[in-house]
Amino acid sequence: MSYHSPHNKSRNVINFKDTINIALAGNPNVGKSVIFNQLTGLSQTIGNWPGKTVERMEGHLAFLGYHFNIVDLPGIYSLSTFSLEEIVSREYVISKKVDIIINVIDATNLERNLFFTFQLLELKVPMILAINQMDILRKRNIDLDFKELERIFKLPVLPVVAIHGTGVHQLLEEAIELVVYRHPHKHYKKRRSIESKHHSHHYYRVEHVHERSKSEEVIKKSFSFPDLNQVTSFGKEVELKIESLSKMIKSFQRNLSSYNYPLRFLAIKLLERDSEIIKIFSDNEEGKEIIEVSHTYREELEDIHGEDINTIISSEIYSNIKKIIDLILITKIKKNKKRRTLADFIDHLTTHSIFGYIILIAVLFGIYFSTFSIGDFIAGLLDDALIVWSDFIYTSFGEDNVWVKVFWDGGVGGLFGAIGGVLVYVIPFFFIIEILQDSGYLPRAAFLMDRIMHSLGVHGKTIIPMILGFGCNVAACAGCRIMETEREKKISIALTSLVPCAATMTIVLGLVGRYLGFYWILILFLINFSVIFIVGRILNKTLPGQCTELIMEMHEYRLPNYVVIFKQTWVRSKEFIFKAMPIMLILGIILEILLIFNALEPVNVILSPVTVLWLGLPAITGVFLIYGILRKELSLVLLSILANSLNVSLLELLTPIQMVVFSLVTMLYVPCFATIIILAKQTSWKFAIQISLLEIFMALLVGGIINFGFQIFISL
Amino acid sequence: MSEESINNKENQMKGTSLNKCLTECEKGEEVIVIRVNAGRNAKTRLANLGVVPGVKITKTKNAPFKGPLEIIVKGSSLVIGRGLASKIIVKCNEACLT
Ligand SMILES: Nc1nc2c(ncn2[C@@H]2O[C@H](COP(=O)(O)OP(=O)(O)O)[C@@H](O)[C@H]2O)c(=O)[nH]1
Ligand SMILES: [Mg+2]
Repeated sequence: MSYHSPHNKSRNVINFKDTINIALAGNPNVGKSVIFNQLTGLSQTIGNWPGKTVERMEGHLAFLGYHFNIVDLPGIYSLSTFSLEEIVSREYVISKKVDIIINVIDATNLERNLFFTFQLLELKVPMILAINQMDILRKRNIDLDFKELERIFKLPVLPVVAIHGTGVHQLLEEAIELVVYRHPHKHYKKRRSIESKHHSHHYYRVEHVHERSKSEEVIKKSFSFPDLNQVTSFGKEVELKIESLSKMIKSFQRNLSSYNYPLRFLAIKLLERDSEIIKIFSDNEEGKEIIEVSHTYREELEDIHGEDINTIISSEIYSNIKKIIDLILITKIKKNKKRRTLADFIDHLTTHSIFGYIILIAVLFGIYFSTFSIGDFIAGLLDDALIVWSDFIYTSFGEDNVWVKVFWDGGVGGLFGAIGGVLVYVIPFFFIIEILQDSGYLPRAAFLMDRIMHSLGVHGKTIIPMILGFGCNVAACAGCRIMETEREKKISIALTSLVPCAATMTIVLGLVGRYLGFYWILILFLINFSVIFIVGRILNKTLPGQCTELIMEMHEYRLPNYVVIFKQTWVRSKEFIFKAMPIMLILGIILEILLIFNALEPVNVILSPVTVLWLGLPAITGVFLIYGILRKELSLVLLSILANSLNVSLLELLTPIQMVVFSLVTMLYVPCFATIIILAKQTSWKFAIQISLLEIFMALLVGGIINFGFQIFISL
Repeated sequence: MSEESINNKENQMKGTSLNKCLTECEKGEEVIVIRVNAGRNAKTRLANLGVVPGVKITKTKNAPFKGPLEIIVKGSSLVIGRGLASKIIVKCNEACLT
C-alpha cells in the first residue's frame, strides 16, 4: 500500500544537512505570506507553476542544521478542482516533493479555515496547524484550547502571531520533529513544560542536533498519519459508501501506484465527481466499473438527502467543525458585543452607493498620480546621468562608431530606457498595489463594479487588475490570474491591456494636456473607456461560455504591514528586472541595428497609407509608433527630439488635430511589448496576437473617424 | 425537495410563504438557508464557503444599481453576485417570527 502512507520515501536515512520541504497552505488572507516572509527573508523567487499561470512563491532558509525549502501555495478554500490554484495546490501537496504541510489558519475565522484543514487531512500528509492572528482573537477576549486541539487532531497545533514573528520558528522545530524524528505527538508534554523558556528550548534543540550529527544516522520509525476517523467521519450513509468504494479501489491499486492519494480521498473525490480523479480511473475497464459504482452511490445518497453530493459532504464537514469549535473556544467575557470601529466606518464609506464611487475615482487618480510623480522624478535623475555618460562615450569613441551605436545607443540606451521609462514607474507602482491589496480596498471596488462589469461578460473581480492597469499594464495583466475561468481570464486581460498606463499618460499629458488643455484629456479618456467597453462587448459575444457569478470574500480593513509591503515590492521588482528587462535590452539593440541600416525608412513609407492618408499624420510618425510598442512614451520622446533638431516647437510639427489623433492611437493601438509577452504567457500567443490586432483595428478606426470628422467639420 | 421548491414559487406568488430568495431580504435581516438552486460549480463553491442548507446568514450590504450583495456567514463576509443570490432560497429565522 505504497500510496497509503505517502511518506515512506526512499530517503530513509536522514543526514545532518538534510532538506525539509514545507508547503504553506491555507485560505486567502490568513497570513501565509507574512509567515513566508518571516521565515525566508529576501531569499525568495516568484515563478509560475510548470505549464500553469498560477504564481509560485518559493524561499529557503537554514535553521537548526536543516535546510528548509518553503513553498507559499496560493490561497484556496478547498481541494476540489474548480480552479487552477486548487489543482496546482493539490497536486503539489500530494507529490513526493512535500515533506510537511504547514496549514495556516486565521483564528478569527476558524470555521471556514478548518474546512480547508479537513480537506488537507484527507491527504494524510504530515501536517502542522498554525493558528495565526491570535493577537486579534485575544483582543476580543477569546482564546483557544490548544491542548484540546492537539488532542483532537493528533498533530502539532501552534498559536502564531505572524506579524510579530511569534511562534513562527517553532513551526520549523515542529516540522523537524515530525519529519525527522517522526513522533507527531509524543513531544508535546515535553514542549509544554519548557514553553516559557524559548532560549533554553532552542539551546536544547541545537545540542540535540549536534549529538545526532555525531552518531551520523538516526534510525526512525516510519511515520504513520494519525487515525482521525473520529473527527473526520461523515454521516453513516456516506461513510458506508466511502468504505465500499475504498475496498474496490484497493483491489485496483496497481494502477494507482504512481499517485500518492489515500484510498479514502480517492473514494470521496469519486463520489464528488472530481474530474481529475475520474481521469485517473477512466483509462481501463476495471477503473470504469468503479466510476460506474460511484455514480450509483452518489445518486443513492443524493436521493436520501435530497441534496447534491458536494452540499452533503460540505454540510457534514461543517457540522464536524462546529463540534470542535464548541470544544476549543474559550470566551472570557460572555457578552461580546461588537463595537463599531474605524474599519467598519471606512468599509461603510467605500461601499456606499455615492461616496463609494467617488472614492473609487479618487483612488484611480491617486494610483496614477503617485506612480507617475515618483517615477517621473527618478526618471529625470537617470536621464541626466545618461546624458553625461553619453557625452563622455561620444567624445572618447566617436558618435558615428558602429559599436558605439549598437552597444551604447542600442544596448545601454535600451537598458536606461527600460529603467528610466519603465522600471521607475513599475517599482513605485508595485509598492502602491501592495498597499491597496494589503489594506483590503480592492474587493470593495469589485463589489461596486460587479454590475457594470457583467455587461462586459466578466464579474466584478476584473476591476482589480484593471485598477492596477492604471499604473502598469504588465503587472496588471499578470494579476488577471485571479479570474476563475479561462474565458474570464481572457476578457479581463484584454480589458486590462487597454487601460491607459502611467507611461501612456506621459504622452497624453505631454501633448494634449500641455498644448490643448484639460478638456481634451477628458475626451480622450472617454474615448478610451468607450473602446474598452466595446472590446468587452465584442469578446463577450464571441468567446464561448457564460459569465460566472461573483463569489468573493470581503475581508475587514487592516493597517497594511510594512514589512510585507516592502519585501513584496522588492521581490516583484526583482522578478521584473530579471525577466522582462533582458527582452527590452535585446529589442533595443535590434531596433538600433535596423536604424543603422536605414531599415526603418521603408517602414515610414510602408506605413504612410495608414499614417498619412488615413490618420492624417506626418509620415515620420510611422517609426515613432513602432518605437511606441517597445515603450509607449518613446513615441513622445522621439517626437520632441525631432522637434528639437528641427528647431521648432511641437505645435509647429503637429496640428492640434494631429496631436489628438496621435495620442489616441498610442493610447489604444497595441499593448507595449512587455504586456504582449505577459498576455501570451497568461493565455496563448494566438490570443495575444488576436487581441493586438483587435486593438490596432480599434485604434485605426477611432483615429480615422476623428481625423476625417475634423476635416469635414473644418471644411464646413 | 423539488416539490417543495415548486411550492415555494407558488407560495411566493400568493405572498403567504415565509420562504423567499436572498435578494428579497432586508438589509440586516438574519435568515436560514433552505436551498441553493444554482449550477454544480457555483453550488459547490458556496457549499465550501459554508453556504449550505440550514446555515444562518445575515444580509449586510446591497451594492447599488442591483449589484451584488454581502452576507455574513459563519462570522465572515461573503459577496455574492445578484444573479446567484436570487437562486439562494432562505426563510426567516425563528427569532424574527416571535
Ligand atoms: N493582526 C495580525 N494581522 C496579521 C497576522 N498575520 C497576518 N496578518 C495580516 O493579514 C493580512 C494578510 O496576510 P497575508 O500574509 O498577505 O495573507 P495570505 O493571503 O495568506 O498570504 C495582512 O494584512 C497581514 O498584515 C497576525 O498574526 N496578526
Ligand atoms: Mg499571500
